[in-house]
Amino acid sequence: MKTKIASLIALFIATVTINAQIDRSKMPAPGPDPVVKLGKPIKFTLKNGLKVILVENHKLPRVSANLTIDNKPYLEGDIAGVSSMMGSLLGRGTTSISKDEFNEKIDFYGANVSFFSSGAFASSLTKYFPEILGLMADGMQNPVFSKEEFDKEVQVTKDGLKSNEKSVTAAARRVENVLTYGRNHPFGEFTSKESVEKITLQEVENNYNTYYKPNNAYLVIEGDINPKEAKALVKELFSGWQRGDIPEYTMPEANNPTATEINFVNMDNAVQSEIAIINNIDLTLGDKDYYAALLANNILGGGGTARLFMNLREDKGYTYGSYSSLRQNRYAGSFRATASVRNMVTDSSVVELQKEINKIRYKKVSAEELENSKEQYIGGFVMDVQKPRTVANFALNIERYNLPEDFYENYIKNIKAVTLDDVQNAAIKYFRGDKARIVITGKGIDVLTNLEKTDYAIKYFDKEGNPAVKPPMTLPIPEGMTAETVVNKYIEAIGGEEKVAAIKTTMIVSNATIQGTPLVMTTKSSVPNKSLQEISVMGNVMQKTVFNGETGYQSARGQKMDMPQAQIDEAKATLVPFSDMAYKKGTLDRIEPIEGVNYYVVKFNSTEVFYDMKTGLKAKEVKTVKTPDGKEVKVPTTFGDYKAVNDVLFPYSVGLKTGPMDLNFEVKEIKVNEGVTDADFE
Amino acid sequence: MKKSILALASAFVFAFTANAQQVEFEEYDLSNGMHVILHQDTSAPVVVTSVMYHVGAKDEQPGRTGMAHFFEHLLFEGTKNIKKGEWFKLVSSNGGRNNANTTDDRTYYYEIFPSNKLELGLWMESERLLHPIIGQDGVDTQNEVVKEEKRLRVDNQPYSKFLEYVKENIFKKHPYKGTTIGKMEDLDAATLEEFLAFNKKYYVPNNATLVVAGDIDKAATKKMIEDYFGPIPKGEEIVRNFPKEDLITEAMNAKGYDANIQIPAIMAAYRTPSMKTRDSRVLDMISSYLSSGRSSVLYKKLVDEKKMALQAGAINASQEDYGTYILFGLPQGDTKLMDIIAEVDEEIVKMQNELISEKDFQKLQNQFENNFVNSNSSVEGIANSLARYNVLYGDTNLINSEIEIFRSITREEIKEVAKKYLNPNQRLLLEYLPKAK
Repeated sequence: MKTKIASLIALFIATVTINAQIDRSKMPAPGPDPVVKLGKPIKFTLKNGLKVILVENHKLPRVSANLTIDNKPYLEGDIAGVSSMMGSLLGRGTTSISKDEFNEKIDFYGANVSFFSSGAFASSLTKYFPEILGLMADGMQNPVFSKEEFDKEVQVTKDGLKSNEKSVTAAARRVENVLTYGRNHPFGEFTSKESVEKITLQEVENNYNTYYKPNNAYLVIEGDINPKEAKALVKELFSGWQRGDIPEYTMPEANNPTATEINFVNMDNAVQSEIAIINNIDLTLGDKDYYAALLANNILGGGGTARLFMNLREDKGYTYGSYSSLRQNRYAGSFRATASVRNMVTDSSVVELQKEINKIRYKKVSAEELENSKEQYIGGFVMDVQKPRTVANFALNIERYNLPEDFYENYIKNIKAVTLDDVQNAAIKYFRGDKARIVITGKGIDVLTNLEKTDYAIKYFDKEGNPAVKPPMTLPIPEGMTAETVVNKYIEAIGGEEKVAAIKTTMIVSNATIQGTPLVMTTKSSVPNKSLQEISVMGNVMQKTVFNGETGYQSARGQKMDMPQAQIDEAKATLVPFSDMAYKKGTLDRIEPIEGVNYYVVKFNSTEVFYDMKTGLKAKEVKTVKTPDGKEVKVPTTFGDYKAVNDVLFPYSVGLKTGPMDLNFEVKEIKVNEGVTDADFE
Repeated sequence: MKKSILALASAFVFAFTANAQQVEFEEYDLSNGMHVILHQDTSAPVVVTSVMYHVGAKDEQPGRTGMAHFFEHLLFEGTKNIKKGEWFKLVSSNGGRNNANTTDDRTYYYEIFPSNKLELGLWMESERLLHPIIGQDGVDTQNEVVKEEKRLRVDNQPYSKFLEYVKENIFKKHPYKGTTIGKMEDLDAATLEEFLAFNKKYYVPNNATLVVAGDIDKAATKKMIEDYFGPIPKGEEIVRNFPKEDLITEAMNAKGYDANIQIPAIMAAYRTPSMKTRDSRVLDMISSYLSSGRSSVLYKKLVDEKKMALQAGAINASQEDYGTYILFGLPQGDTKLMDIIAEVDEEIVKMQNELISEKDFQKLQNQFENNFVNSNSSVEGIANSLARYNVLYGDTNLINSEIEIFRSITREEIKEVAKKYLNPNQRLLLEYLPKAK
């Protein structure tokens, strides 16, 4: 008996150890493919044209009804927003029930009923559904449009527009549509304060009487239903809905630009740029190359494994996410590649987005990418196909797009049939990197300087998509700020007035290389206003400039030359060792952002001095000098790597740019109040 | 005797299955302390594998706000056996979807796959727990990504900063005073060593709950779970000792600014008890009473009848240790912020002194029953709820029984709870204003 138990234990342990030897280093193989069962909805059409789709599913005791009025889009023009206002005003009472009673009933049952310009929606627990669907049907067919509700809705719409007025994303989407489709296109027009003010109650009623009709409508009922009872209920509630004549409308064509251009929308409060590269396309669900286009888009920007995401987010960290999308549409489709990026990388992001769009056009994707992308679609299809909502959507699409009945049964087969050539052809056809609008909504002052360096022409637009001028590139100067306060802030930042005043002499030795040759620069200074600068190469003094406060000279390779009067005047005007003291007499010209940092710019004679607004430290001096042939040249000197000597900060890195020469001096030694005598300035 | 008990038991089982809202599940612990919950649903060939870790923004060190969420990003960077950059590809090329999210209280990771890829999901989650690879390059890239996420979701969006202002005023000691997304300077200051320490401390099986839900074979699934998660070593026990807040006894006033708005907003925020308490659920009902639906008290009065507000409502932001109850309004036209508050207060005082009507009470019951049915409509949602009830409430079966708590709440309790928590001297009044140019 005992041995038996022991062997059983041994057997048990053996299985455990075998189990423990799963091979972690390899991805586990999948089990057999799950069987896909496509649900079959029940369809029928009422005499008034309303098409009804019923999907039975008893998993939960609830039912929903979804009405879609699938009219061709039309232009609302100077009363843009009228249809959406009409939709909002539905459900505010009917000829037989007041608004309050209506709302009370819906809330009492814990149900949802909502109306919109092109349909309605209702959902509730099974036990309350007949009554809830009745409320929806009544609200749609017998609405009362009252003056009071209308006036209120006008106010709410205007306040709603106002609450979004500074939203960068709202402005971006609006202008993108205006520019892509055109202002006189149903997809390009938008509701504005002006258009809302032009809408009248009569116009709302006209809109309802013209367009809210069963002719092109679909009603989908899904959930815990008995089909026979549901059919009877639908007939009872919707047979009386009257058909109408819906006016014909010819949609204008939406055009791509002849060459890719940047369309810039300035928003001063933006902390990110909204970038959207957009072009119009002609693509409808069921087109021959529909699946190839779908896969091409998926590989380019369809999600967290697509090229845009991997490049702009995972590799560069420019954005939280970059994606592309294909909007298939019977009337006007579009392709978009987008990213919301921090201001400083706006130009780089445009470059990367365009690079990826062009790459997928000119170079075939890899077989592995295509295979992975197909699996992604097929997996999604397998997982979703049995959900009642999917069954309903598939049935609705077959009706709306006139697709063959077996369209979705062939879905997996059609996805699998797409080839590498198909993907490239679709990319060339639908992703127009060469004829696209790059719509950027962001803070001009931060991003335009670099965008101007790209290859694209820039056009400017306001928040409503009207042509505009380039925004100003400087910030307003805060009240009370002057050259003097800026310099005081700087003195404070480097150590304070007292500490600075205690510095009587300085000696600074720094190194640089010029065309591979090491160079040593020694500068000495002493109050009041004496200075010396010496440049030597391998111990030989090449150049020396001395100023004793009154006069001075320059010597180069043994040739000595007295300082010309102009230079003396200039030297006299500055105050070494801290020339900034003199800049207090200059003027505060502007605030200029450079690479994300804002600088106070103080003008002093022919020099502009840049102080970092945040740290107070001096970053740059730019001197404008005249060349012998009369041209003006800017000579910048940059300061960085501040370190304290005798409690005062000195820049340990000084850059000098003259003509084609870039000199970067690294400070080796700074001596304060020692090593300098008056003899140095003789 | 035995027979009749059996018959009774089967009658019970029948009663449960007849109730379509019942979520059947099985739960157990692995020897390393990892909690496992299985839920079978064969209606579609889908499986969800998910892990909830009991770590969130409140576990961060001072000066390191945003760390928990930042770390969540790092756990997609790769593992010993999954190369950097391969994670997302593995999921999508196998027809799956995946994501993660972080709150102040917990971090949740999940994959949804066709059901034949169950083992893949388990492998990936076990890899993530056993030996993730966290390096400086990942920290550097994700630092930028997380900062972009903050700009996208908070800094560039209207009305998205109010929670920051509310929290920093409502909480003085408890780490709920910071935001989950964190501050830019804290994100920049976080070091690789700190992330590694964070991983070692919190990402251990005894601090995690694994949920497998969907079209599964339970016996085979259990074996796979043991294979992939069983060998992962147990971590040290985590001691949580969050500071307790003092009672708020005096009204607080604050102003917050947002450059992305034109229309201001007013908020009245109260500190309330943990979401695990009965009182917190009563507050949920009060929120519904005040602002759920067009016939609700605040909507009807402020938006519809008096036309004083563009929007008005109540949010019960309930969390593990405390909750924050927020009443808010956006003025319509020239309405003054304080006039909105006066109207809201009038309704609160009414609730504190009179019982709500029988009809309104029945309405609340119907609404909560409807929410209950809808909350379990997808297998992804069920997996999340099972994990949440287990990790944060300590009672997985609340997925089925929480509705009973709501059903048992009385009109008298609603009155008492309104009296207990919603008083002017216990709150913050926050004026949320457009940033002056």
